Amino acid sequence: MSNLKILLAVWKANLQSAMEYRVSFISQVLGMMLNNGMYFVIWVIFFDRFKEIRGWGVGDMYVTFGVSASAFGLVSLFFGNAFNLGDIITRGRLDYYLSLPRPVLLHTLTSRSVASGAGDFLYGILSFAVSGYFSAEALARFTLAILLAAIVFASFLVIVQSLAFWMGNATNLVTLAVNAMITFSIYPISIFDNTAKLILFTLVPAALMGAVPASFAIAFTWQTLAQLLIGAGAFLALAIFIFYFGLRRYESGSGIQVEI
Amino acid sequence: MKKYWFIFQTQLINSLAYPGELIGRALTILPFMWIFYQLWSVTFASTGQTEMNGLTLKMTMWYFVVTEVIEISRPRVGNTISETVRDGSIAYLLSKPYNFMLYHYATAMGGTIFHALFNILFGGGLIWWLVGAPPSLMGVAMVLPALLGAWALHFCIAALIGLLAFIVEDISAFLWIFQKAAFVFGGLLIPLDFYPGWMRTIANFLPFASLSYAPARLFISPSPQAFFAVIGQQILWLGILGLALTFFYHRAVRFLTINGG
Repeated sequence: MSNLKILLAVWKANLQSAMEYRVSFISQVLGMMLNNGMYFVIWVIFFDRFKEIRGWGVGDMYVTFGVSASAFGLVSLFFGNAFNLGDIITRGRLDYYLSLPRPVLLHTLTSRSVASGAGDFLYGILSFAVSGYFSAEALARFTLAILLAAIVFASFLVIVQSLAFWMGNATNLVTLAVNAMITFSIYPISIFDNTAKLILFTLVPAALMGAVPASFAIAFTWQTLAQLLIGAGAFLALAIFIFYFGLRRYESGSGIQVEI
Repeated sequence: MKKYWFIFQTQLINSLAYPGELIGRALTILPFMWIFYQLWSVTFASTGQTEMNGLTLKMTMWYFVVTEVIEISRPRVGNTISETVRDGSIAYLLSKPYNFMLYHYATAMGGTIFHALFNILFGGGLIWWLVGAPPSLMGVAMVLPALLGAWALHFCIAALIGLLAFIVEDISAFLWIFQKAAFVFGGLLIPLDFYPGWMRTIANFLPFASLSYAPARLFISPSPQAFFAVIGQQILWLGILGLALTFFYHRAVRFLTINGG
């Protein structure tokens, strides 16, 4: 309970900090929404020309893109340091979080908020709203889907960034993995063969951030729900295990300092 | 001009200082090329045609090698310039005996060349393995000046956006929008040949087609006429954007107030 309280307090502080520069915040939110909208034009052009790819049409793309964008937005907004974790480890900046009596991983991840994430989150909902699949029931499924997709994405980021405990500077590998995850999650899953699909459920779990939650938002099946729940649970557990296992190897030149 | 050549050379050598880093960055192109191959091989197969709008699968994939090499290796000066404005280091740079913009151009291009070379190696290598050799050797020779033209255009637009830091605190939204406009109207993810006619017409009136579509199309369907058309168009846009950059740069510097230091 006390962890939840501190979590809410950190998020509140992040929001207040973002609101300090209101114009910048709004321009980033609107800019990101426009950015996503312009990117999606490419898919509209593609499906206007080719209609559908192995049963996958533009409506499916709206939902897939919507789920991925909203999940990405949630992670950026609430767990913004997931994108910098490797850098924090390499620079010895974990010292600050280790010196406080709070769960290190949770506190580190939530200590930063990326304002443009709000634009991604809102755009995702808009994308779903115009997909042709929108209904009250579908919205409830969409909400659950983006939460589980966000858990998968945040866990994947933690796993990849935790490699910094062993490799030191893992920036290139992290960039490669994160780019692959985002790119693959916004492509129709119908274009991949079985080997590729296996990779997209395990090594780079982009299917659990895009196609599977999108299928669940479109139509309820126990199979997709089970895939999402098991996937999110397994990746979360793996992320926590790898981070704390790596933490045992953590070394720094003592960067503990009083921050008022 | 000699000093800019030296700046370019220095940056070029600097970029080789960490070959592991260079290779690591270039690996980024692989997932993109792989997913393009998946998408377009399925698309061609589902239409049952081996050629669409004058493009075969092999031509389409080599088209993407060029567009991705341009996009991934392009000079990213927007943030660099805006940062110098925001942190005030522009004051220090302006006192140096060189042109601020040419300095940034030389630096950016020095960092681009080897990055592009490794991207070509990895991206081109993967596509060669998947669909075979590039369609034409003549294309290889003709695309080189077009690549330099594309990066010069990228520089002008990114620098113009960077100068916006004199007016707004954060320029990232403008950079995102420029990137996506280049994606859509530059045919970065879908060749313009597959666009509806009206969109192709709009794209041809904008500088974005000269950034990626035109060099990539030249690479897969080279001819002397196409070469001169592409280079001519790039020179025209370089003239327009170069003038705009010079104008706005001088205007911006006039408003700059430097206190002490």
